[in-house]
Amino acid sequence: MSRLTQQQNPDGGWPYRRGGSWTEPTVYAVLALEGGSDPAAVERGLAWLRAAQRDDGGWPVRPGVGESSWVTALVALLPPQRLGTEHHRRAISWLAAAAGADSSVLFRVKQWLMGNQVSSDATARGWSWVAGTAAWVSPTSLAILALDRENRLQPAPGLGSRIAAGRHYLLSHECQGGGWNHGSTNALGYQSGAYPETTGMALAALRGVAGRVVDESLALALRFLAECHAADAMNWLRLGLAAHGRLPAGYTPPVGLACRTVAELATGILADRAVAGESAFWI
Amino acid sequence: MSDTMTRRDWLAASAATLAVAGCSRPVRVTPSETTIVRAPAYDQSLYDTVRRVVAAQRPAVRGRSVVIKPNLVEFEPQSVINTHPLLVHAACEAFRALGASQVTIAEGPGHRRDTLDMAEAAGYFGIIPGFEDLFVDLNLDDVTPVDLPRRISRLKRVYLPNTMLRAGLVVSMPKMKTHHWVGATLSMKNLFGAVPGGVYGWPKNVLHWAGIPESIADLHSVFPRAFTLVDGIVGMEGNGPIQGTAKPMGVLVAGTDPVAVDATCCRLMRIDPERVPYLQLAAGDAAVFAESNVRQAGEPIAAVAKPFALIPEWRGLRLEKGA
Repeated sequence: MSRLTQQQNPDGGWPYRRGGSWTEPTVYAVLALEGGSDPAAVERGLAWLRAAQRDDGGWPVRPGVGESSWVTALVALLPPQRLGTEHHRRAISWLAAAAGADSSVLFRVKQWLMGNQVSSDATARGWSWVAGTAAWVSPTSLAILALDRENRLQPAPGLGSRIAAGRHYLLSHECQGGGWNHGSTNALGYQSGAYPETTGMALAALRGVAGRVVDESLALALRFLAECHAADAMNWLRLGLAAHGRLPAGYTPPVGLACRTVAELATGILADRAVAGESAFWI
Repeated sequence: MSDTMTRRDWLAASAATLAVAGCSRPVRVTPSETTIVRAPAYDQSLYDTVRRVVAAQRPAVRGRSVVIKPNLVEFEPQSVINTHPLLVHAACEAFRALGASQVTIAEGPGHRRDTLDMAEAAGYFGIIPGFEDLFVDLNLDDVTPVDLPRRISRLKRVYLPNTMLRAGLVVSMPKMKTHHWVGATLSMKNLFGAVPGGVYGWPKNVLHWAGIPESIADLHSVFPRAFTLVDGIVGMEGNGPIQGTAKPMGVLVAGTDPVAVDATCCRLMRIDPERVPYLQLAAGDAAVFAESNVRQAGEPIAAVAKPFALIPEWRGLRLEKGA
């Protein structure tokens, strides 16, 4: 915790490692420090986030980058009473309306012309990193986590179907043999393998979903867990397995695992809490 | 292998034709020099070899900060995906010996977010003393918007890491590999790692949507004089840049003109550079990198060239038909 507060920038935000403040590490640091011994640091972080919200309701990855993006899902995970109910409401609206450009008819026609495989299923709608590009597993997973949390707290028309379309995207982008990479399962006929961090993230977003894809991916996540030596991957594997009650009892990450960024340090704390039954990502 | 033309082949051929037609004005060509040296293995002899090949190219280094940009792609230390850390360390030493005021190693992988863990798995921590202090993760660096000088792709502006923009000299150190989307990945394609994932995500899909060859050419226009040192000791053929197989070549290729170096590497791989769309786009005219317009120092191409296996989609790049 003290390492996190030491890395806070004077403007109230957090860098990834050093330098200027970014939205992603700031949200994770605020979530990790919430309820701790330095409420002033949390308040400065929340103020930084409120000030960074754009007119369209979304957040840029950092101030100065003039476009709302995937990090809006992370900010939407913050409790409304802490972020501010109006800031939160606009975040949810932005998120519910966003989608990867690959779900458009134009994109599907272009893929057909390029000779690429086009799924006959147009009901899968994920989220992109930035506007005007395709949906990918990580932003889709984070958006589902935020909207699902919202829908359980304050159900609203359309949220359930948007979450379902996002989950459909994840289920249809499983790698052969289980798990997920960024969402590119096949390039020119060659299969691409899963990554541990994206597998954990997608499993967290599929909390409460059962079936072959989830079963295969949970089995793969357990194999990844046994050989994982990277903090980001470890954090998300623990979150993904905990979301399904499949993290081995008493499991502890390897000693000496290096947390090299603020985001890794903070999500490690959040994973510890989720394993203990108190998750910032789901209710 | 099918002889029929796919929709992809047809579109690629059309694009190449248009590119050539649009760039057919005569251009003044100043021959660039590239150096090819034999380097049979990743061993201690590399330090002397790299020092000689860098010095031979006479890059303006004294008193300047140097940013070395290797190609770091995946966690697979036994594979040939990544630029070898011993070569990167040898380059650090060579630029320090030439009087660089500071040498930084920087990379922003396109697929994996945990860059330092990947560098550790690839052996960088073990081989390069103080690696973590020398290294900047370009995905997470502070950024500045840059208006693209030529606007070859649909992008008008791109955010780039300050570490790259403020460098006195950028050194691109790619691995010599085939690439399933663009044919070959060399010094200019290596600049995709300079586009920050922190802004654009993983993978850097905005570059794909803007056109991969066009985006490569646009990035080249921002760093047109990047010094290049290509790891061709063991390259990758087939389904590169990740799933291909090792291709021992035993060479390093260096130069101060990325277009000339990439064209030379293509010839070493027995790929026709004139059929690589991003080379056409970056150069503006194929005459720029015609073999007669590249002064070749060190080993002649013919003495060390070996054909790289190509996936069917790129069979049309082969210099010698039937090879």
